[in-house]
Amino acid sequence: MPKIFYTQPDGRQTALEATAGDSVMQTAVRNGVSGIVGQCGGSLSCATCHVFLAEENTDDFPPVGDDEDEMLDCAATERQDNSRLSCQLILREGQEVHVTIPEAQL
Amino acid sequence: MTTHHDAGTEFPFAARPAAEAVQHLRRLMADRPMTKVTMPHGGDVWIVHRNQAARQMLSDQRFVREPFRTGEREVPFFVPFPDFLRTTLQFEDPPQHTKLRKLVQKAISPRRVRDMRDSAAAFANQLIDTMITRGGVRNLVAEYAVPLPIEMLSSLLGVPSADREKFERWSSSTLSVAGRTEQEITADMGELAAYMTDLIAKRRAEPHDDLLSSLAHAHERDETLTDAEILPIAFLLIVGGFDNTANFLTTGVLSLLRSDEQRALFMTDPDALAPTAAEEILRHGAFMMGQPVGGGGGLVPFVATQDVIIDGQLITAGEAVSIDPTAANHDPDAVTDPGRFDITRTDNPHLMLSYGLHHCLGAPLARMELQVGMAEIFKRLPNLRLAGEPVVRYDVLTQPMTDLPVTW
Ligand code: FES
Repeated sequence: MPKIFYTQPDGRQTALEATAGDSVMQTAVRNGVSGIVGQCGGSLSCATCHVFLAEENTDDFPPVGDDEDEMLDCAATERQDNSRLSCQLILREGQEVHVTIPEAQL
Repeated sequence: MTTHHDAGTEFPFAARPAAEAVQHLRRLMADRPMTKVTMPHGGDVWIVHRNQAARQMLSDQRFVREPFRTGEREVPFFVPFPDFLRTTLQFEDPPQHTKLRKLVQKAISPRRVRDMRDSAAAFANQLIDTMITRGGVRNLVAEYAVPLPIEMLSSLLGVPSADREKFERWSSSTLSVAGRTEQEITADMGELAAYMTDLIAKRRAEPHDDLLSSLAHAHERDETLTDAEILPIAFLLIVGGFDNTANFLTTGVLSLLRSDEQRALFMTDPDALAPTAAEEILRHGAFMMGQPVGGGGGLVPFVATQDVIIDGQLITAGEAVSIDPTAANHDPDAVTDPGRFDITRTDNPHLMLSYGLHHCLGAPLARMELQVGMAEIFKRLPNLRLAGEPVVRYDVLTQPMTDLPVTW
């Protein structure tokens, strides 16, 4: 079962067991993790699911796609090298993923 | 509309005191995820009440709007669905929708809107200055809540300041608060369309840093948009943008004026509390206005392209389905203590701006305007208070307030 650790901007952490095939955004929204809105439901048109992906997880997911890249430029919090849209981070069995939530999504 | 009968769980249900309405919604959602309702126009539609089920439906691409756009099917709705709205982005499905949507979304992105925040605050303060100068009892709807979104949208679209007044007159014509006749609205819409078409042509020839220019020049990335595609987008923003945002802002101010406890809390730090307060106003503000609340609302529907089971209920291919944000916003499984108005609530999965592919295009802008509009008025006028009863128009669908008399 994949596991996700969400760290809030103030350092608080939430750990969640997830389902393979779900995204990091879906898991957050379903469990009421603050700071991930996911308004467009994962259709890459809102940029309100922005997260910073831990370095050790960089290679666990396919690289940023063109559409994701464009939407990251639209995010409310300035993107960084490890910025991802969490609706594009689809979980696989056995994964352990660490993400940090930015100051603002809206 | 036909009514589903189960003791205390009927839907739609007549207006009752807010706390009772919350209880009614609770029983309704405990009983079933959705209700099939016969609309005054366009026939039957499933209306989904539960929050999670609504999200699931809204993010499932087997529900589409094509049959409404082509006219193959009438939109099940409370009023005859306006034709000019059927040709907008709301009624496109992927892939056409994706192309248009992405282009517009970039222009109204959280990022872009953040950059507009200072000018929104400055304009809000100008409006407040004028109210202070006039003094006495002011109508917050006409003097604050309506002009703020109009100004922001016209600057986003790139309407030259010299033309703002004309633009404001035409575009506010569609506002339910304007009380114009069907004929006057049609004439105004014609003039607005001619004006916008002309402006699009100008921006094609000479681009500025605004939404119309970026849409007109989108072809650089192999994404050509014709005037016929751009115009409805502008219309959708105008029609969808003003009325709703003005309503949200008026509701927000009134709900705080009605709650001494939450207003005192808000006053401790309006800027910091504005984001969560705005979400709570979207979720529950209508229940805080001191008026009875009914149940029966639904957003623009979709049609199932195949049989789909949502939350145990079969929706058959060809059936229409919509969501009921009022219920979903008070679903005890999604929102803790849904009857409580709490402007510090951080987990607030309300569906007032919808969700999924067709979520409110102007959501970032509407949110920003609501946050700024709330914070500025209470910062400048900490003693703001009601100077009479608000006037609500019940004869139009959105039941907007047309007058909120305030003094300070
Ligand atoms: S949920 Fe909208 S872009 Fe990820």
